[in-house]
Amino acid sequence: MLPLSYALRNLYRDPARLLQTILGSALVVLMIMGAAAINQGMRETLDASGAADNVILLGAGSEESVLRSEVNERAAGIAQAAMPGIVEVAGRRAISPEIQQLTYVSVGNAKNRRALVRGVTPDALLVHTRVSLVEGRFPRPGEVMAGRLSWRKLGIPRQALRVGEPVQVEGVPMILSGLFAAPSTVMESEWWMDLNDLRTQAKRNNLSSVILRMRDDGFADADLFTKQRLDLELSALRESDYYARLADFYAPLRSMTWLTALLIAAGAFLGGLNTLYAAFASRIREIATLQTIGFRPWALALSLVEESMLACLCGAILAAFAAMLWLDGLAVSFSIGTFILRLTPEVAFMGLGTGMALGLIGAIPPALRCLLPPLPTALRAAS
Amino acid sequence: MTTSHDYPLIRCKGLTKHYRKGRQTVTPLSALDLDVPRGEFLALMGPSGSGKTTLLNLIAGIDRPSEGILEFDRHEIGGLSRGRLARWRAAHVGYIFQLYHLIPVLTAFENVEIPLLLSGLSRRERRERVENALALVGLADRMHHVPSELSGGQEQRVAIARALVTDPPLLVADEPTGDLDRESAASVLALLQQFSAEFGKTIVMVTHDPRCADAAERTLHLEKGKLLEAEEAL
Repeated sequence: MLPLSYALRNLYRDPARLLQTILGSALVVLMIMGAAAINQGMRETLDASGAADNVILLGAGSEESVLRSEVNERAAGIAQAAMPGIVEVAGRRAISPEIQQLTYVSVGNAKNRRALVRGVTPDALLVHTRVSLVEGRFPRPGEVMAGRLSWRKLGIPRQALRVGEPVQVEGVPMILSGLFAAPSTVMESEWWMDLNDLRTQAKRNNLSSVILRMRDDGFADADLFTKQRLDLELSALRESDYYARLADFYAPLRSMTWLTALLIAAGAFLGGLNTLYAAFASRIREIATLQTIGFRPWALALSLVEESMLACLCGAILAAFAAMLWLDGLAVSFSIGTFILRLTPEVAFMGLGTGMALGLIGAIPPALRCLLPPLPTALRAAS
Repeated sequence: MTTSHDYPLIRCKGLTKHYRKGRQTVTPLSALDLDVPRGEFLALMGPSGSGKTTLLNLIAGIDRPSEGILEFDRHEIGGLSRGRLARWRAAHVGYIFQLYHLIPVLTAFENVEIPLLLSGLSRRERRERVENALALVGLADRMHHVPSELSGGQEQRVAIARALVTDPPLLVADEPTGDLDRESAASVLALLQQFSAEFGKTIVMVTHDPRCADAAERTLHLEKGKLLEAEEAL
C-alpha cells in the first residue's frame, strides 16, 4: 500500500484546487448540518410540547387544530365536577380552560407581528408543568406574560422583552408582567394573558380547549366523559397525540428542508467532483507509473480515496466550526412556535458522516477514470 | 541438453498483439519469435509504429499478448491476470521511461523507495537499499531533493535507481535518453552497460538513436510488427 504521506502531499500540489474542494465540501456539510438541526429541533420541540398525562378536550370535529376549536364554556366546570381521574395538586384539580388565538402583538414601538396568544387562568400552571416563571409574575387582568423565545417571532431583539414594558395585543395596551420558560416546547414563543381579557378582546363566548392533567389511566375517563356528555360536543385527545399529529402535519415542511439542503448540496458536490476529476486526471500517467511498478489498482484507488477523504474531512471540520459559530443557539420560528438550533452529537456525526461519504463517493468516479484505461495508454497520457 | 542457465530469460514464440481502433483491427506485432539470453543488453530499433514499444510492453508485463507464447524464466506470463501481472512486475522488472515518470511530490529518496514498499522489507533495510541505489547512480548527495530541483539527467538517474532498487533480473527502458542532452545520455547508457556487465542484468531498451543502440550488445530492428533479419536491417 502507498503511505498516507503520499496522499497528504498530493493535497498540497495545487492549493487553489484544495481550497475549492475544502470549501465545496464544507458547504455541503454545513447545509446537511443545518437541515438536520432544523428538523431535529422542530421534531423535538413538537415531541416535548405534549405531556403524556395531559388530555385536551377539543370541540368535536376540530381535532386537527386547537386554533379552530370551539368548546362550550361550561365544559371546564362540568369536567371539574364530574370527571374522575384528574390529578389534584394541593387540593386543586388540574384543569385549565384556555383560549388560543393567533393575533397581532407588538412591544414598544416595534411593528405588529402575529403571535400565538393563550388566555389562561393561574390553574394553567397545574397542567403545564414544564412552564416556570423566570422573571416577574403571572399575568393579572391588563397584563401579559411572554415566553422567553417570543422575541424571535416578533422580530425584536431579545433585550426588548423587559418586565414592565408596554405591550399591545390586538391594539389593546397591556403591561409585560413576566417572562416564562417551558424548555423545548412550542409554549416558549407564546404570550399568556388573563383568560377573561382575551375572551373580551376576541369577542368569544367559548373556549378553545380544556386541558386536564390525568392520572396514569385517566385518558379512558376523559374519553368516556366526552362520549357520555354528547351535549357538550367534545372530543378527547392525549396532548402527546395532538402534537404527534402536528408533527405529521409539518413532515412535508421537514422534507422540503431536506430537499432544499440536498439540492444545494448536490450542486456543491458536483462542483467538488469536477475539481477532483481535474486533480486526478492530471495524474493518470503518474498512477499508471505506480501500477507499472507493481501497485495494484485497489491500493491506488485507496490512496486516491484517502486523499479525497482528507480534503472533505477538512471541509467537514470547517463546516462544524462554522455551524458552532453561526447555527448553534440560533432561534428558528415556524408557524406555531420557535426552537433553538442545537449542534447535538447526532447533528455533528451526521455532518462528519456526510463529509466522509462525500470524500468516498466523490473519489470513486475520478479514481476509476484514472485506473480503468489500459496501462500502455495511461503511460502515454499527458501529465 | 539445455541447462537452466542456457535457457533464455525471455522467450517469445508467435507473439502477436491486436487491438481494435474503431472498426479496424490493428496488429502492431505479428507472429514474432525472439529469445533474449540472461544478462544480455538488447536494443530494439525501428521507425514509429514498428511495434517496438508494444514488444517492450509485452516483455515488461504491462500489456498482454493476443496470441503466442511469452515466457519469462521458463514461466508463461502472457496469460496472467492483471493482478498477478502486477505482482510479477514488482518482483521481476524495473522500468525506465523516456520522461522519467518520477512522482513530483516525493523526494529522490522516496521515489526510489516506492517499489520497496511492496517488498515487505523493514524501514532500515529499505533505507540501506535506497541509499545504495542512489549512490550507484551518483546521486547520494541529492536524495532529499524533489524532482523539480534536479536536472533531466539527474531525474533519469533517480528513475534508474528506482528501477534497480528491488534488484530485478530484467530492466526495460523505453527511449531512456530521448529527453536528455548528449552528456547526460552518455552517463545513463554507461550506467546501463555497467548494470549489464557487472550485475548480470538483462536489459531490453527501445531507442530511435543508433548511437544509443551502440551501447547494447545486440540490436534488433522491427518494421511493421516483425523482426528484420540482420542484413535487411543494414
